[in-house]
Amino acid sequence: MTTEGDLLHTVTADDISETRKRMGKLMVWGAAALCVALAVWQFAHETGRIDAGFSNWRPVLYAYMLWATALCAAQVMVRGEAGKRTLFVLPAALFVISLVVFPLLFALYISFTDWNLASVNGPQPNGWDNVVQMWNDQFYWNALKNMVYYVLAVSVEYVIAFGLALLLNAQIRARKFFRVVFLLPLMLSPVAVSWMIGKSMLEVRFGPISRVVRELGFEPSFFGSPEIARFMIMAMDAWTFIPFMMIMLLAGLQALPREVIEASKVDGATGWQSFREVIFPLMLPVSLTAIVIRIIFKLKLADIIINVTSGGPGGATDSVTSFIFREYRDRSNVGYGTLLAMVYLVLIIIFVTLLLKLVSRWMERPA
Amino acid sequence: MKTDLYNCIKAAQKMNRRQMLKGTAALGAAAMLPAGKAAAAAHANVRAEILKIPGVGAGSPTDSDWQKVGEMCLGATKENVAEGEFAGVELTFMGLNNQNLHNFLFRGFLKPWEAYTGAKINWIDLAQADYNARLQQSIATGTVDFDIIEMGAPFEGDVLGKGLASEMPDWVKEQIDMDDYVDYLKAPVGTWDGKTYRVSIDGDCHSFAYRKDYFGPDGIGGAEVPTTWQEINQVSKDLVGKEDPLTGLPAHGYLDPLKGWGGFGFYFLENRAAAYAKHPNSPAWLFDPDTMTPMVNNPAWVQAIQDVMDLIEAGAYPADQINADPGTTAFQQFLAGTGSMLMWWGDVGSSARTSDTSVVGDVVGFGINPASDRVYNAQAGAWEDTRNEAPNMAYIGWGVYVMATVEGDEKKKKAAWSAAAHLGGKDLSLWASAYPSGFQPYRNSHFQFEEWEEAGYDRAFIEDYLGSNADSYNHPNAAIEPRIPGIFQYYSVAEDELAKGYAGQYGSAQETADAIAAAWEEITDQIGRDSQIAIYRASLGL
Repeated sequence: MTTEGDLLHTVTADDISETRKRMGKLMVWGAAALCVALAVWQFAHETGRIDAGFSNWRPVLYAYMLWATALCAAQVMVRGEAGKRTLFVLPAALFVISLVVFPLLFALYISFTDWNLASVNGPQPNGWDNVVQMWNDQFYWNALKNMVYYVLAVSVEYVIAFGLALLLNAQIRARKFFRVVFLLPLMLSPVAVSWMIGKSMLEVRFGPISRVVRELGFEPSFFGSPEIARFMIMAMDAWTFIPFMMIMLLAGLQALPREVIEASKVDGATGWQSFREVIFPLMLPVSLTAIVIRIIFKLKLADIIINVTSGGPGGATDSVTSFIFREYRDRSNVGYGTLLAMVYLVLIIIFVTLLLKLVSRWMERPA
Repeated sequence: MKTDLYNCIKAAQKMNRRQMLKGTAALGAAAMLPAGKAAAAAHANVRAEILKIPGVGAGSPTDSDWQKVGEMCLGATKENVAEGEFAGVELTFMGLNNQNLHNFLFRGFLKPWEAYTGAKINWIDLAQADYNARLQQSIATGTVDFDIIEMGAPFEGDVLGKGLASEMPDWVKEQIDMDDYVDYLKAPVGTWDGKTYRVSIDGDCHSFAYRKDYFGPDGIGGAEVPTTWQEINQVSKDLVGKEDPLTGLPAHGYLDPLKGWGGFGFYFLENRAAAYAKHPNSPAWLFDPDTMTPMVNNPAWVQAIQDVMDLIEAGAYPADQINADPGTTAFQQFLAGTGSMLMWWGDVGSSARTSDTSVVGDVVGFGINPASDRVYNAQAGAWEDTRNEAPNMAYIGWGVYVMATVEGDEKKKKAAWSAAAHLGGKDLSLWASAYPSGFQPYRNSHFQFEEWEEAGYDRAFIEDYLGSNADSYNHPNAAIEPRIPGIFQYYSVAEDELAKGYAGQYGSAQETADAIAAAWEEITDQIGRDSQIAIYRASLGL
């Protein structure tokens, strides 16, 4: 029995023979070799280099699962007790890798092919053609430009959400009732919102809102001009998601140390001064978290647009996601659509990383 | 028959029990008449008998009715297949489940067929919205897991063009009497490289619906119903500022949908363009059949786009028309009393009388796609001042196809074709066109109005409504959809460009059309120009 190493966390000390270690390593490398060999064979078969092969890639998948199992078993064989600890995480990690990393790599490959589902030839690598096409695609740049507008609208949503959170935090009548009522839009599916509001209440002829506008002496047109249509999409999306920001801010407000606010009152601060000098700075970390999460939601905006305007008029309300949806669903343009999605993913990662970096100094609550 | 059409006719003729009994009594009496030739009498008898199930005006048919009809129409199958001949054969059928019709009917129709032949059918039911994606993915990933498919003709390029279907044996052609098809469903539709693949079970076309109260001696739209696009444009402009006689709201003329509809919206520009661009001297009107060069930016198509832009400029459309897709123009505008002229599939005519939101039921009239005073001859590159009519056969209708998965197993192949032939049988299709099924009449024998009359239908209404379909179907210059792979990709991208054009983002109609043409060229290159040319030519029968 060993007397060295991490004795505190060791249940039993291992005395693993070299043969067992070699067996463990052999299992892993053997299964890996089988998996790679099958993959190479199948690839050669699929590309027409050899005749013999499987009708699909399923045997390669089975070989991969065999390798994953061998890898887990080998942990114990090679490392004993320490290997058992690894087994608490390794299967989950392999599962994530299988379902996230592999598809991501496959998507990366697809995005550099000309795969159109209607094409006879299937996916054919086409180099940088999709990137060039994207560079010249006015619809994509227009959608990206629209995303800037949509993201900027978050600032207005934040102000409204903060106001509502302050109201619900105050000692008002039926506070609990209003909290539930204000949360209702968030519980609705955006698809339901787009039909109930966008296509029913705002319907030019029958919609109750249209009737009110007509009664006021105006001719209703909610999606006729680019600016108004974009505003209406923003408004519907805001109506759905302001409660989300509001509830986060409300939670933040309720967690504020009361003594600091009371101290400011004792010092003679007015309501506005108390808000500006004490509450708002204390709320910054929560505010920024709410804004960042809301922006991430906003970058995925699509359902309302697809249902209400299909991106129109003339692309004025198109979001990147709704444009990609059309490329995929209506045009079966898998290669180009995937490239657009990958580029958008990279843009989102860069944008959110920079944003987090930029606001990190305010994310810590002041001492 | 489409469900709403059935309901419409019932509502239109205010079918009551007495009328229904009169109809069924007439059928019964006809059935008891002394027969001439035994076979002919038996055939006529079956047609009369199945039309009594469940009886016009006696509520919607149920599964037991479908099974009864399937049983009574088995005669043709029995001539070609021995009892129990397909024992042990399993087939998979992929189709739709729209409105609980389509596959639901097929199940009932085929149940007696299964009992007689011994075959078993497994079902894949799809919602309409999932259909295209499921089919395309099956084809693209090589996972065709069905033996029989219910499919629209526009997808023939994707399936037949890639050799994925089984060629129809001659005995099936005889069993289903293909000569009875209306003209436009005959070859080249349903055929590829001279081989026949499709058992038609439906027909489709756009027809013209108009408001009778807008036209006539005192009509605000003029004395006569417009019959050309030039007249329609003029009437639409002249109606600006006038009051709708029914609703008292602003009057409007023709309703163009200005927003896309997943590719289907392009059919509506086609309605206008067909009259200008579909010259009788060629079946091609969307692409040059030699090069696949788009014709969508030739003067004829540009004129169609220009017409719409002129009407936008003149303020002839209702407010927010830029956000109106075809669903809006038909169901939220025309049927609700906004606008006076529309092109649509059959549903609009039927919904006019049955929909709760429709206010135009008593004032709606029908016709075929309007003509043009002049037609563009693409081969000569010049306009000709001759009147041109070209009904738009938008979508062409559903058919049943047998996949190549059955090849190599003669028993299975015969079983699959026998099932398809049963569904597309002459007698069974009469029942399907007379009762809610999701399908329109598509055979010349479906337009024998006396059969409908004897079954209890109102002859005048049937003649008026179905007559417009029959005229379109058999028109010598019908504009037939090209059945090339990815056809809806072309339509979808065209919708995006048209939306930009209508929103004023392009300088002119020509610029808009050029943008569509450029996008179409890209799609053609991506899918493969040579294969597209070959398939396009095959689909046109060239």
